[in-house]
Amino acid sequence: MRGTGLTWPLILIGSILLVVVCLFPFVWMALSSIKTLQELYTVPPHWWPNAPTLENFAHVLFASNIPRYFLNSVIISGGSTGLALILAIFASYGFARFEFRSKPFWQAFVLVGQLLPTAAIIVPLFITLRVLGLVNTYWGLILVYMIITLPLSVWMLTSYFKAIPVELEEAAIIDGSSRLGVLFRITLPLSLPGLIAVIVYAFVTTWNEFIFALCFATDSTVKTLPIGLSEFSTEFNTDWGAVMAASMVMTVPIALLFLVFQRMFVGGLTAGATKG
Amino acid sequence: MNNRVGLYFALPALIVLFMLIAYPVAYTGLLSVTDKTGAWVGGSNFAAMLKPKVTTQAFVNTLWWVGGSIVFQVILGTAAAVLLNQNFWGRAAIRSITLIPWVVPGIVAATTWAWMFHTEFGIINYMMTSTHLVAKPVGWLTEPNLVLPVLIAINVWKLFPFVAIMVLAGLQSIPNDLYEAARVDGANFWHEVWHIMLPGVRPVLTAVTLLLVIWALNSITIIYAITRGGPANKTLITPIQIFRQAFESFSFNQAAALSVMFFAVVIVIVFIYIRVSSAEPGVAR
Repeated sequence: MRGTGLTWPLILIGSILLVVVCLFPFVWMALSSIKTLQELYTVPPHWWPNAPTLENFAHVLFASNIPRYFLNSVIISGGSTGLALILAIFASYGFARFEFRSKPFWQAFVLVGQLLPTAAIIVPLFITLRVLGLVNTYWGLILVYMIITLPLSVWMLTSYFKAIPVELEEAAIIDGSSRLGVLFRITLPLSLPGLIAVIVYAFVTTWNEFIFALCFATDSTVKTLPIGLSEFSTEFNTDWGAVMAASMVMTVPIALLFLVFQRMFVGGLTAGATKG
Repeated sequence: MNNRVGLYFALPALIVLFMLIAYPVAYTGLLSVTDKTGAWVGGSNFAAMLKPKVTTQAFVNTLWWVGGSIVFQVILGTAAAVLLNQNFWGRAAIRSITLIPWVVPGIVAATTWAWMFHTEFGIINYMMTSTHLVAKPVGWLTEPNLVLPVLIAINVWKLFPFVAIMVLAGLQSIPNDLYEAARVDGANFWHEVWHIMLPGVRPVLTAVTLLLVIWALNSITIIYAITRGGPANKTLITPIQIFRQAFESFSFNQAAALSVMFFAVVIVIVFIYIRVSSAEPGVAR
């Protein structure tokens, strides 16, 4: 038992307030996405749609670029998550299990990467990508997303690997296993929650990322969902029904992914933070 | 045994990060003192960026944006964490729901809120006029003095859940004996909040605040998607100014000069913050 606790009316009011504030925009998004155009532009607005329709979804799925952008987003987020995971596994293992002279410097370097103001390096990144011929390619965005995903992934995995007893690995090495064998057969299976935390983190952040995609993917063959959504809403006359339907298409997969793996993800994130 | 093995493991990641961070940073410096043809122009790009009033205005807006966002994110996030640290039925579900604003894409949050704040058809104006809180619809996203506070509110909504989960993790690591000792001394709930919980989560709050500062300084999505810096540059913050200078005016060199100045200010802020926050661990409240 803990604390003296809040009284139940306060808990009740606080909880209701919290739930309403956090959920209402999604409820409104969902309701708006199944309203007809006339109904969206009615004063006063109807809380509940009089004639629910799937027209907006049909428009988004069959008469817009959104499906293509969805595919682009899956490829780019999947690719950068995979790449970040592979790089982070090796780097974290090196940081967690070995001592070398320049280690503090490189660990600080990785952390600084997380603190960098991204707006300040957009210009040179763009020029670099242009020179390499990577503007408007999947690889361009996948690489650039390493800036966002890699530092925190290395940070989270390093603390996970450190928590696994070294004795397990030493025993395997005595039995004749190689370093890499140890990493793949002992350390990785034991750090599954940490790996999942990194995967969810990397996938969600790259899926949601807006500004790099806006700068480095200007062609509809590589544009991602966030850019597609902003295209809907920046036109002179915003089609709010379609915007809300597209928002649903974009949010539902990520919300599901997150809710399924929530526990591991939050655990991985807060473990890294509270241990400092 | 060769003690370089660890470095070899880390090398691929370090090379990628070096390419993507150190090289562009150095390149920004080079761009800022040259012109389009690559010829040396000294400080003229800096002068060209410092002269117009809009740069100062963007900088002031940035300070308001960062300060306003962080104060409310920390207060609301901590309050939510204290609430979710209580034992009550349905707590797990409410914890999950609280995280949702943080997980949804920023662009989705921006467009949904823009629709809710819509002057004519928005649900917020409807709720406020029908309950007679305001006499006639408010132009939330067009009234020059209202836009920035509205955008800050959206940003607070987006990120207070992050503060809440981190602080909640901190609260749960506070040993129970502290509460028991306090109760023996006759402390009530608010005493516990003030004397046990807040001091207990201080290190977490310090780390989280630094992240929030960085994120606020980096955040372009919400403002860009809703107002693009308007009306009349009232919501223009420096990152957006850099972006527009580079990709709308296509003057990369001046954008680079602005980036260098922005970068310098960010580093100074982060440095001061780290010094101040690590220098006062034992200060009495």
